[in-house]
Amino acid sequence: MNNLIQHIFEKIEELSPIHAKKLKKNLAGFDDLYYERANAFLHKYNQFLMKNDKTMDYAIDCYLKMNADMLAETIDFAHTGKYSSSKFEEVNKRVYANPETMAYYMHGLLLSQFLWKHHYQVYDYYINTLPTYATQVKNYLEIGAGHGLFISKAIEILDPQTRFTVVDVSPTSIDLAKNFIEEGRIHFILSDILDFSEESCYDFVSMGEVLEHVEEPLQLLEKIRIMLTPEGTVFVTTPTNAPSIDHIYLFRNVKEIQALIHEAGFEIVSEQHFLTEDVSLERAEKLNVSIMYGAFLKKRKTNIS
Amino acid sequence: MELNDILQQLNEIFKDILDLDTLVLTPETTARDVEEWDSLSHIQIIVAAEKHFKIRLTAQEIQALENVGDMCKLVQKKSAQ
Repeated sequence: MNNLIQHIFEKIEELSPIHAKKLKKNLAGFDDLYYERANAFLHKYNQFLMKNDKTMDYAIDCYLKMNADMLAETIDFAHTGKYSSSKFEEVNKRVYANPETMAYYMHGLLLSQFLWKHHYQVYDYYINTLPTYATQVKNYLEIGAGHGLFISKAIEILDPQTRFTVVDVSPTSIDLAKNFIEEGRIHFILSDILDFSEESCYDFVSMGEVLEHVEEPLQLLEKIRIMLTPEGTVFVTTPTNAPSIDHIYLFRNVKEIQALIHEAGFEIVSEQHFLTEDVSLERAEKLNVSIMYGAFLKKRKTNIS
Repeated sequence: MELNDILQQLNEIFKDILDLDTLVLTPETTARDVEEWDSLSHIQIIVAAEKHFKIRLTAQEIQALENVGDMCKLVQKKSAQ
């Protein structure tokens, strides 16, 4: 275990011993490649924090605040069987347009990328599959850049001539991604994707953990289908049963996600799902443990486009 | 309800959720003392305790718990309301 990961783990173990047990299991199960990637990422992230007069302890505090929010949402979900909000305007006001909340949420998510097994597994799936498209992608769109980690990896993997665009509804998220990535090639657009009007121009659309943030995910997927070139590819991820302060659309199981993808006129080229807890699939379904679903999609040819 | 009664009843809930037949909780027991008491089982324990004692706990109350003794006192307070 390298020093930064060790420091993060020990600090979390001191402040949140119950949560630290999960991290301990995660860290014990990772391979050397994980530690190589995590080390590179955390080094870059630490530099970014220092440049912004912050420390890794600040990031850990953000991560634990995010976890505390999730605990509250999980308890509420256990009571009601529903997410606490179902309206975009509600979470937009409470989260996306609230710089203080967005700041700790984004820093928390950045750390979770390498602390949560399923987040790392999705990242691994993405960067292992993306090279397949390296020569085909000329115009890349990322919807909801969050902290910018995925698009920064896409810039490394894809052709140097590729154009990169990010559309995000949160100014805080765009600022963080801009500063973290430090890449002049990305065109950032502050907009709700549903208000964004470009047709048949993107040959790759990446949309990690966005569907659960919208009221009508079918409408969003149909919108992406319009923006995609005929041979274009979509990378999409979304979780089942994942209460969070800004999740408004509840997928109860993976079949619901797959059905939505088909309904929107896509076919699944490849897919993976990752359990968010160290339990069997049977137990996960019984306890409503969240499953992270990820897939690469193409337009279904039989549909009229 | 007496704190000791609550402790005994919580002990049964913990044994059931954690699948540990021989578990003996004390007011000083923390998650550090019970390997199986992790973030997933923590939620299950809270929800089972709420159902058993017919109470509702807030996230703030849950996060303030330091040990089983705190949990007993919280259950006692909420049951009396």
